[in-house]
Amino acid sequence: MDAFAQLPDEINHLVSEFHSIPFVGDLMMGMTQYSFWLCASAILLLVIMFAFKSKLALVPHGLFANVMEWGIEFVQNDVGKQIIGKNWKKHFPFLATLFFFILCNNVVGVIPGMKPGSGTISTTAALAVVAFVYFIACGVRAHGPIGYLKSLAPEGVGFPLNILIWVIEVISTLLRPITLAVRLFCNMFAGHIVMGSFAIMVTLFVQPLLQQVTASNILAALPGVLFAFILLVIYAIEIFVAFVQAYVFTILTAVYIQEAEEVEE
Amino acid sequence: MGVIGYGLGVIGAGLAIGLAAYGCAGAMARQPEIQNRAFTVFIMGAAFAEALALIGFVVALVVQ
Repeated sequence: MDAFAQLPDEINHLVSEFHSIPFVGDLMMGMTQYSFWLCASAILLLVIMFAFKSKLALVPHGLFANVMEWGIEFVQNDVGKQIIGKNWKKHFPFLATLFFFILCNNVVGVIPGMKPGSGTISTTAALAVVAFVYFIACGVRAHGPIGYLKSLAPEGVGFPLNILIWVIEVISTLLRPITLAVRLFCNMFAGHIVMGSFAIMVTLFVQPLLQQVTASNILAALPGVLFAFILLVIYAIEIFVAFVQAYVFTILTAVYIQEAEEVEE
Repeated sequence: MGVIGYGLGVIGAGLAIGLAAYGCAGAMARQPEIQNRAFTVFIMGAAFAEALALIGFVVALVVQ
C-alpha cells in the first residue's frame, strides 16, 4: 500500500500548516491567518448582533430572531440562572459575550477553507486570562482582598490542615486559566487535524483514479469512499464540538464566578 | 511511538467518559426531573476527561 507510505509526510505538512504564519508583518506585530479569521468572525458577530437588535420585538417574528432569542435564553437559563443563581443579571453580559464570541469563532473555523480564531493557543489564552481576571475581581468585590484569599479554604477545618488545603486551592485556582485555554485550543486544533487527516486519506486513495481510469485503480479507490464517509461523520461531530466547547468554556467561567462570590453561611 | 503513546493515554479518557455517561443515564432514569442539571454536569465531566485525551493527541503531534 503506497498510499499509507505517503501518509506521514502529508500529515507533517498538514500540521505545519496549522502553525501561526504571519502574512502581514511578523509574529510580534502583524497578522497571522488565525488573527485574520478572528477579526472576520468578530465583525460577523457584530453584524449579526446589530441585525438582531433592529429586529427586537415583544413577539419575535421569523427564523433569525427566534434562533437568536433561543441562544440568548439558553445562556440566560442554563448558565446564568442555573449556575450563578440570584445575581445572574450582573454577569449575564460577560457570559453571553464569551459564549457568542467563542461560538462564532468555532463555527467559522468549521467552514472549509477558513481557520478557527480559537485554533491557536494565543487566542484561547487571552480569553482564559480575561475570564480569570473577571472571576478574581468578582471574588475580591464580594469578600474584599483579604476575605477572598481567606475564603479559598473552607471553614471548619483544624489549624494545620487548613493551611495545606489553602495552598492546594490556590494552586488549583492558578491552574484554571491554563486548563481553560488548553481545553479550547486542543479541541479545535485536534478536531481540525483529524478532519484534515481523513481528507488526506481520501485524496491519497482516489488520486490514481483521477490520473488514469483502469479497473485496478477503481478497486484501489474503494477505501477512499469509506474514508469520505468517516470524514462526513467527523465533520458533523466537529459542528457539535464547536457548540459544546463554547458552552463548556462559558459554564466553567460561570462556575468559577459562583464559587468566588459564594457567601458562606 | 507517539501513536502508541496516544493510544495508551486515550484508554483512561475513554473509560472516564463512559463512566460519566453511565452515571448520567442512571441518574436521569431514576429522577427524570433533574435532566437539565444532570446533563450539564455530564458535559462538564466529559469535557474535563476529553481535554486530557486531546492534550495527549496534541503533544504526540507537536513534540516529535
